[in-house]
Amino acid sequence: MSEVTIIGGGITGVALAYELAKRGYEVTVLERRFIGSGSTFRCGTGIRQQFGDEANIQVMKRSVELWKKYSEDFGFPFTQSGYLFLLYSEEEIEDFKNNIKLQNKFGVPTRLITPEEAKEIVPLLNIEDVLAASWNPTDGKADPFKATMAFAREAKELGAKIYEYTEVKDIVVENGEIKGVKTNKGFFSTGTVVNATNAWAKLINAMAEVPITIPIEPYKHQAIITQPMKSGQINPMVISFKHRDAYLTQTAHGGIVGGVGLEEHGYDLTPTYEFLKEVTKQFIQIIPALKDLRILRVWAGFYAKTPDSNPAIGRINEIDEYYIVAGFSGHGFMMAPVVAEGVADLITKGKTNLPFWWYDPYRFERGELRSKAIQMG
Amino acid sequence: MRLTEHPILNFQERRGKKVTIYFEGQPIEAYEGETIVMALHAAGIRVLAHTFQKDRPRGLFCAIGKCASCLMTVNGIPNVRTCITLVEDGMQITKQKAKPKLPTTAKPPKWKDPEKIDADIVIIGGGPAGLMAAIYASDAGAKVALLDENPMLGGQLVKQTHKFFGKREQFAGVRGVKIADILEEEVKKRENIKVFLETSAIALLQEDDTKLVVGVRKNKELVEFRGKAVIVATGAMERMIPFENNDLPGIYGAGAIQTLMNTYGVKPGDRVLIIGAGNVGLILAYQLIQAGVEVKAIVEALPKIGGYFVHAAKVRRLGVPILTRHTILRAEGKEKVERAIVAQIDENWKPIPGTEKVFEVDVIALAVGLRPSIELLHQVGCQIKYAPELGGHVVIRDKRLETTIKGIFVAGDSAGIEEATTAMLEGKIAGIAAALSAGIASPEWLKEIEKAQKELDEFRSGPFGRKVLKGLEKVVVE
Ligand SMILES: Cc1cc2nc3c(=O)[nH]c(=O)nc-3n(C[C@H](O)[C@H](O)[C@H](O)COP(=O)(O)OP(=O)(O)OC[C@H]3O[C@@H](n4cnc5c(N)ncnc54)[C@H](O)[C@@H]3O)c2cc1C
Ligand SMILES: Cc1cc2nc3c(=O)[nH]c(=O)nc-3n(C[C@H](O)[C@H](O)[C@H](O)COP(=O)(O)OP(=O)(O)OC[C@H]3O[C@@H](n4cnc5c(N)ncnc54)[C@H](O)[C@@H]3O)c2cc1C
Ligand code: FES
Repeated sequence: MSEVTIIGGGITGVALAYELAKRGYEVTVLERRFIGSGSTFRCGTGIRQQFGDEANIQVMKRSVELWKKYSEDFGFPFTQSGYLFLLYSEEEIEDFKNNIKLQNKFGVPTRLITPEEAKEIVPLLNIEDVLAASWNPTDGKADPFKATMAFAREAKELGAKIYEYTEVKDIVVENGEIKGVKTNKGFFSTGTVVNATNAWAKLINAMAEVPITIPIEPYKHQAIITQPMKSGQINPMVISFKHRDAYLTQTAHGGIVGGVGLEEHGYDLTPTYEFLKEVTKQFIQIIPALKDLRILRVWAGFYAKTPDSNPAIGRINEIDEYYIVAGFSGHGFMMAPVVAEGVADLITKGKTNLPFWWYDPYRFERGELRSKAIQMG
Repeated sequence: MRLTEHPILNFQERRGKKVTIYFEGQPIEAYEGETIVMALHAAGIRVLAHTFQKDRPRGLFCAIGKCASCLMTVNGIPNVRTCITLVEDGMQITKQKAKPKLPTTAKPPKWKDPEKIDADIVIIGGGPAGLMAAIYASDAGAKVALLDENPMLGGQLVKQTHKFFGKREQFAGVRGVKIADILEEEVKKRENIKVFLETSAIALLQEDDTKLVVGVRKNKELVEFRGKAVIVATGAMERMIPFENNDLPGIYGAGAIQTLMNTYGVKPGDRVLIIGAGNVGLILAYQLIQAGVEVKAIVEALPKIGGYFVHAAKVRRLGVPILTRHTILRAEGKEKVERAIVAQIDENWKPIPGTEKVFEVDVIALAVGLRPSIELLHQVGCQIKYAPELGGHVVIRDKRLETTIKGIFVAGDSAGIEEATTAMLEGKIAGIAAALSAGIASPEWLKEIEKAQKELDEFRSGPFGRKVLKGLEKVVVE
């Protein structure tokens, strides 16, 4: 018998397991394959506070504080190397000016800089046609492999149980009360289930017969990594919406990781030639010197998307006790520490100080979509 | 050093115009038609790079573009495979000692849409398997595109100076290089075969019923090949074995040594130790002596010689000792191989203390087997199975060499390590079968497939075929 059973061993699941174990709860994580094998190990590593609405800005500000704390406590790489949005039109600049005002209001030090200043930050940039850039030096990136494994390790140290290659097949609910979950490795009895399966969330919701509509759909997104080059040449995450929502940065090893916004609905994960061509075409416009670097690998993962690109986080009142924590679009990695903290508070205290009402899972049912969260890729 | 006299090959005739390339700023003499690494080797340069973390020297290993051991910066472009890139007058070549730094002044290049080549059948690899596949697919009526990443056709054949075994129809008694010439002639005669050299296939994809092969020509141009069927005949890559300092420059795959001396007329070194007494090791010993190189010994871990008796006898007659039940413990040398330490092993393959022998050599040749190059087949999603008898992981296929994906065929060493003879027969079968599957060949051609299948069966019925047959049982399905 476990007090809380988390389905899904991505960064969301294991970070939540850690937060709950820290609060003295008995936690079990059930993961179909291995830790991180969903979308987490396939992500672009980026962590930003540059959002366009108050909730996400506040939430991400706290997340960055936690990234800093946990990377120091647990010893995994996290650097505040900034996010640099390249802006090519007056409309874009207007939009970003408004965002910056909002970000500044909550203490995020974003500012508008000139193309020349941008080139000082990333000397490889092609600043032809760039009119300005939105720059926040406190955004950053972390190593998804080391970070996720660190949370899993710390959770286990505090007594959490993590079962890999354990797939949830059904959820047993009697009279609106959860009794346990059926898996390929047997029955796990539990009173509380957290659905942290992100791209697969709708399937788990169906097993629990969640009575409300929570539209979370899987979209294939691809990424590449190049051969390594000398470190420090592209420190921040560089974003250009003009170049098909491109994002790119350099990993600690030296390879360039990134992608462009080309998506396909469904559960297929085959990388495509169309993407490879597009990413090549766009990246060399942003950083021309990349033309001489080879792409080593291309892979795909999922953006689990809701209609407003904001996640669905909260308790489902009709089932005792069932929580949904999924639908992170292109920003679930960066949010994981704060989501884990907030959801742990929801489970243990019934409330959180963070503006999680923005992610209310009932908003779709009520037709109260939020403003669309800024998304790249 | 370049070879000027050779009992079988005439390099003077083959060498192109003299050009100058620059290595770390120093001018070096080279000839058109030579790859960069061959010109450097001829000038005595063996250290091509230093590893980024431990600063260990790196030299070439495979010489056919498959191992990344020869990456250098060429005209400012980092990570160029210098073993398959031809020299050009004035080329600037530098060693990489650290991860490359990119220029901040680069201008965004103009995007050129890829060249599009449409064919009925696209064949990847121009070794004996690919060449035969092209010839028969074309004769069966198909329009063929044949691509190879090396600058010449023939695959492994172009370096085989010895006469081949087998049946007369499969060129027995003819030297490998000659067979390559004959097949190339046949290909050239056929107007419906288009050949693309220095073109690497980097991806194999499905677009509904069409297959797409993405190619990169000369490191820079994108070419899209589309066809109704694809034949993968990408050959094999040489194995490496673990021993101390096995990364020292001067430790080469057997095929690389053949490429040096038989394809480009560059002397690989002065004194060689060969590891492995299979056919490849034995033939290599003989070819080295032909080129005027001293062979100190052949070391073999098994209790008996693996290759054909005739080859072993010939090598022994030339005075080369074959040490069975021996292995290499380590290589020694500062920037390149200076000596090799060898020891006897017991029944448990453990070195016996006190049996160490020292060989003063400057080259160690590894002839320890090959593994099929299945990368593209793997990437497109063909089913794969482990069959050690065939050299490792290979694709599941039927008797006509069609893989688990309709319209994708395999032939030659990439289907399982065998010989040129079987590679040619498999190429023939795959070529015709692909033309049939594309709906081009008439049913008459089935007879030719059956004929080739019978020849394959006969060829494999000998003692050396037993192992292969065991492997095929695991991977050939109805
Ligand atoms: C190409 C790409 C780039 C990205 N870049 C970024 C970025 O730069 N920054 C950022 O913040 N985010 C990025 N993302 C998004 C990010 O990867 C995800 O939002 C994040 O990893 C979600 O984590 P998760 O733990 O919620 O989900 P996942 O990591 O997907 O974990 C869910 C787990 O549930 C498991 N599961 C599913 N069904 C079952 C079942 N029945 N039983 C048991 N287990 C089950 C799965 O196996 C999986 O491991 C990117 C995504 C992609 C695809
Ligand atoms: C020392 C030695 C002696 C031998 N002696 C004999 C003998 O006496 N009798 C005999 O029958 N056999 C012999 N063989 C074996 C024979 O050479 C091989 O079995 C045969 O060459 C295999 O033919 P193949 O066409 O499958 O592959 P290969 O000859 O290896 O050709 C593969 C071709 O594919 C190309 N290629 C690979 N990947 C790509 C890509 N991604 N894009 C484009 N092109 C690509 C390569 O450049 C290469 O040209 C010998 C081999 C060796 C090494
Ligand atoms: S790739 Fe050039 S030596 Fe192997």
